[in-house]
Amino acid sequence: MLFRNPSIPYKRLGSPKIIIYSGGDLLEKDLQQNEPIILLKDMVIGYSKEEPLVQIPNLKIYPGEIVAIVGPSGVGKSTLMKTIAGLVKPISGYAQVCGKIIPESPLRGKLGYIPQDLGLVKHASVIHNVMLGANAGHNKSIIPFIPIILPSLKAKEEATKSIISMGLKEKMYEPIKRLSGGQQRRVATARTLAQAPELIMADEFLSELDEETIAMVIGEVIEYIKISNAALLVVEHDIARARIMADRLLVIDDGRINPFITEITAMEVEV
Amino acid sequence: MKNDDVVEVSLFDWRYFYPVLFIFIFLFTIIIFNGMINDWGRLSNGIGVFRTFLSEDVLPPDWTVLEPLTYPVCTVEPRILDFTCSRAWIGMIETLKIAFVATVFGTILSLPISLLAARNLNTTEVSYIARFVLASFRSFPSLIWGIFFVILVGIGPTAGVLAMTVYTVGYLGKLQYEAIEGMSKSPLEASEVMGLTKLETAFQVVLPESANDLISQIIFMFEYNFRHGTVIGLVGAGGIGLYIDTAIKYLEYDRVIAYLIIIFIVVLIMDFISIKIRSLFTEEVGHSRPKWREVFFPAWMIKR
Ligand SMILES: Nc1ncnc2c1ncn2[C@@H]1O[C@H](COP(=O)(O)OP(=O)(O)OP(=O)(O)O)[C@@H](O)[C@H]1O
Ligand SMILES: [Mg+2]
Repeated sequence: MLFRNPSIPYKRLGSPKIIIYSGGDLLEKDLQQNEPIILLKDMVIGYSKEEPLVQIPNLKIYPGEIVAIVGPSGVGKSTLMKTIAGLVKPISGYAQVCGKIIPESPLRGKLGYIPQDLGLVKHASVIHNVMLGANAGHNKSIIPFIPIILPSLKAKEEATKSIISMGLKEKMYEPIKRLSGGQQRRVATARTLAQAPELIMADEFLSELDEETIAMVIGEVIEYIKISNAALLVVEHDIARARIMADRLLVIDDGRINPFITEITAMEVEV
Repeated sequence: MKNDDVVEVSLFDWRYFYPVLFIFIFLFTIIIFNGMINDWGRLSNGIGVFRTFLSEDVLPPDWTVLEPLTYPVCTVEPRILDFTCSRAWIGMIETLKIAFVATVFGTILSLPISLLAARNLNTTEVSYIARFVLASFRSFPSLIWGIFFVILVGIGPTAGVLAMTVYTVGYLGKLQYEAIEGMSKSPLEASEVMGLTKLETAFQVVLPESANDLISQIIFMFEYNFRHGTVIGLVGAGGIGLYIDTAIKYLEYDRVIAYLIIIFIVVLIMDFISIKIRSLFTEEVGHSRPKWREVFFPAWMIKR
């Protein structure tokens, strides 16, 4: 499929990154059963109108699906994640995430996000960080506008469980800044698992881990996805790993993966 | 494809901008200063005046300020400790108390305001209002607030505490919202996406993340308040300054110098303690501290 939005000039160098992905048409069967968790239509994302990064004509992600985004560095994968998370304003287009239309944000605890730089509270302990997610997911204010003060046993349980599942039991009370890079990544994953969201968006959550740990982390996350019928949208720089993990693969390319691209290209890769 | 990589090279370089700017600012300063001094001779006269003043009025310092007062009668038991009944000691302790109470009150009041003033946590409108409040508290030095509160509540430490609390709110609040704004935005984004409330984010993300900076600033503020607390008595707001003020009024400059020496020593000690405590809370930096001899001598001289 080739797409070209004539309103956006395509420059080969300087700002080479107007890439289109199209997908979701394959899953018409699911459409009858389920509402998509993510629905993007004619989205153009980026930080400025003059230099749009990625263009997404149509993307639907359904509960239970695992979708991986691959693409070269600097192409706009993280920006796409942030846009879906509601942190970056899209340049144009329609986006629906967890039942809310952007710029409205999803309900508390529905959306789990592991940023590329993790977003951990560095000076606080592992359990403190994981409790943030657990509270978002399991400790909700009954009366609106009344702040949540009371601790919740359920949240504490979920937090402990997910720390143990990430193999960080010994590090429970250790401050984040004293953990290794890979351990910190697992804390961020534990935080999101403890939150029990409908949608997990993970930006390179497997980097800095060894093969064995990767298998463990992927195992836990996929098990959660399957059991809770949640969706997983993951950015993965390792294409081989993305193929193993994902049901569908989105490729955002500016010509570095496929050097024969001369036009704006849309790619759907079957796994 | 590679054609676009050609870069033009010239001797002009933006790196020179700051050195050149600095030189201009320095020249400008000299010009302004020269304009303020209409008679350079007076500057050199000052030394002579200072010498006479020193030998005739000030020296030797009058150390009776360390002797116990005649009234109330000193009842401290080991006689060695009877300096704790002296003017200098009583004034110093009062200054310490004022500084401590004002720092604690000021911190309690400034924290919520600085959370509101941080632009990474609030809308522009809210942060501007909070900043305006802080700036107005800060706009007068604590000495002026001291005059104001002495008029309101009368001479004594209460006025000192109030004056310094107000100034602490303004000053500490600014330091703290700057520390909060300096924190990485990624934890804030993560908690926003999770759907945590503002209050949860403030207490569970922002405060723990910037706690080291905040604590270090509170200790700095205490030290600062202590230093200023010695002055604030001059307007009647309590502390050792009150005694200095009296001594100045009676032209007892030898007594004043004794007080000043005592203040100098205590401030040095407090600074030292404060630096020590704060070093526990500041991030350990990547490189080890240079030894003094590495600063003064080239490396080949100290290598053996
Ligand atoms: N806050 C920002 N403001 C403006 N431009 C930005 C900002 N953040 C990133 N960019 C630019 O947007 C482009 C895409 O960045 P992004 O982080 O989305 O890349 P990425 O695909 O995630 O790369 P990587 O694989 O290295 O993480 C880059 O050219 C980057 O310079
Ligand atoms: Mg990225």
